[in-house]
Amino acid sequence: MTRHKKIIWAVCAVLVAGLCLSTTAAEAQKKLTVLTWNIPYFEDGFKKWVTDFNKKHPDITIERLDKKGTEYATFYQTQVVAGTAPDIIDVQGALWLEYAAKGGLVDLTDYLKRDQDYTQRIYPEILKGWVYSGRNYGVPMYISKTLLFYNKLLFKEAGLTDPPKSFDQLLEYARKMSKGEKSGLITLNFDWLYWPLLAMNGVELLTPDYKKAAFNTPKAVQVVEALAKATQEGAINKISWTTRWVEPNSAFGSGTVGMLHAHAPAFLWFKGNAPWVNENTVGAAHLPGGWSTPNSHSWLISKGTKLPDAAWDFVKIASSGEGAYALGTGTNNLTGDRIANEQLMEHFRKNIPAVVPVLKTQLEHLDKLCGNWAVAKDAEIKETFYPELQSALLGQKSAKAALEDAERKVNRVLQQR
Amino acid sequence: MKKKRTRELLLLWCFLAPSLLIFLLYRIIPLLWNGLLSFQFWSPYKPAEFAGLYHYQEMLFYDDAFWRVLWNTIVMMGSAPLGIALALGVAVLVNLEIRGRNVYRTIMFMSYPVMTVAVGIIWQWLYNEKVGLLNYILLSLGLIRRGIPFLQSFDLALPCVILASIWQVIGFYMIILLAGLQTIPSELYESAEIDGAGAWKRFCAITLPLLRPAIFLCFVIGIINSFTSFDLVFVMTQGGPAHATDLLITYIYTVAFKLSKFDYAAALTVVNFVFFLGLALLANRLSGGEAGAVETGK
Repeated sequence: MTRHKKIIWAVCAVLVAGLCLSTTAAEAQKKLTVLTWNIPYFEDGFKKWVTDFNKKHPDITIERLDKKGTEYATFYQTQVVAGTAPDIIDVQGALWLEYAAKGGLVDLTDYLKRDQDYTQRIYPEILKGWVYSGRNYGVPMYISKTLLFYNKLLFKEAGLTDPPKSFDQLLEYARKMSKGEKSGLITLNFDWLYWPLLAMNGVELLTPDYKKAAFNTPKAVQVVEALAKATQEGAINKISWTTRWVEPNSAFGSGTVGMLHAHAPAFLWFKGNAPWVNENTVGAAHLPGGWSTPNSHSWLISKGTKLPDAAWDFVKIASSGEGAYALGTGTNNLTGDRIANEQLMEHFRKNIPAVVPVLKTQLEHLDKLCGNWAVAKDAEIKETFYPELQSALLGQKSAKAALEDAERKVNRVLQQR
Repeated sequence: MKKKRTRELLLLWCFLAPSLLIFLLYRIIPLLWNGLLSFQFWSPYKPAEFAGLYHYQEMLFYDDAFWRVLWNTIVMMGSAPLGIALALGVAVLVNLEIRGRNVYRTIMFMSYPVMTVAVGIIWQWLYNEKVGLLNYILLSLGLIRRGIPFLQSFDLALPCVILASIWQVIGFYMIILLAGLQTIPSELYESAEIDGAGAWKRFCAITLPLLRPAIFLCFVIGIINSFTSFDLVFVMTQGGPAHATDLLITYIYTVAFKLSKFDYAAALTVVNFVFFLGLALLANRLSGGEAGAVETGK
């Protein structure tokens, strides 16, 4: 063997040995990866979760990842495809349905049955928000649902006192406050957050068996026509139907909008940008009929995890007791844990009294949640239905034609494999 | 002699190998995989099944949004000449012997290095129905009685996005065209002037023909931009209202990552690729069939 060849063989041997050693080391090290949704600032509480978790599992390390909402789904799905999905994920809204329906999540039903001391702490109405085909795939991380914020200054200017009590009154109030650069009402539209406006009028999206569209009714046509008319008149700001989160909340924060239909986390966001916002200037109420769309965050466990039991232990720590309290104080939200929420409300009364009326609404009318259908094709139905509704609301199509087209398309989505 | 030639060739391949490997890994293999995926039912959680032409059938016969976004992409692409024409006008102006022309050139170029996301946000506020500058001006001049919801309008949203896109890239086009203008010998204009050619005639007979390579380059860049204007659309309108500003590229993203239909998105990507390939071939033909060719020494 020449000297040259000997060197090549030696280099190869070193590389192979190194690879083997690193593989062995990786196998020996147990690790859980936790993916959170846009809470990079939540550090102390997360460390507390890890400390508490390591008391039970000292041999398992926790790696944390955090992604913004806009890049979250892309990141997670790419990781799933690569076979390196994070073990524990914090997911907003109904995104989990797709993952659950395709078999990408660990079924938590048996864990919840087994650990009754944990399950008893969680609101049953909220917990059932993560049930698909009779199985529970998630537990609440922090809870949020829509409510009506109203600008008391604009209400006073328009001679209004209390928040509206019916759909007609909602539009009437919006008209009274709309003038020049001011508009009466803005709603968030993503993740079915606008659905309470239809639900309060008795409109259903699908039949009870989720097999056909059920929204194309004379009443629905009438409601969409009323919303479109208010939009054309400027009583409902058009950005309600075209932008996502920042713009509607910013518009309300600018003091030129009478009412904002948004979820609870919006409050501290627009308050942070608008010094005029306080208990005396902004009120929090339920929409007429108490209807709201939940948009809570949940903890879920990826099917690919090698340590499902340990992952479940982490989820329990993060979503109950002191862990839930840490999350609530760290992110200014309520959690799914009833006992932790009592302590949290006490904390908010002392430290951020302005947020208390907002958070109180989050625990009321839990029987009036809507826009949260456990359908595997939720995202696809949403993407099919909304452009048609948008066309009607922005005056491109008549309400009747838009709902007919939407019905045809939604039924086709439901029939597809 | 032969041994020397083999060694040279080996060396050549050694230098090329890293680039070819990257090209293979990040272009060719994904392209083939994408083509394969478009004929399958596939999701990250389940084994693949053969789908035949199912996704293409769905796209061509049932998906109204596909035709809309394809049309939008063509319109966006068709706007490239408009941007080039404007940039040419600006380039001609800042090429004149006027005082402070370097300042004007800098001002015109300033929009180009701005991040596309920032451009989107700026224009989004400019177009705002209630507090936007454009509506404020139009209202102040008494040209309109109520603010125009530019980005919420089905007819105006796409032209508005195109305008923002042109504003961003016009400075870049201008620099390319200005460089082209400065290579045209002044003697040609002097001779033409002596022969009695007017300004318009000189522009048509001298400037335009000699600027052809620069214009062609701008055109190619414009076409590529129109295919990849993802960030601008995403920030300004997210493809709405009702797909009025959706382009193929934004629609592919929505289908893949919002709806988790990677297989259908793959079929859309194939169409996007074929469309783009067709344009590249056309551009190559228009440029004399030698675009990208490198002359080698003998």
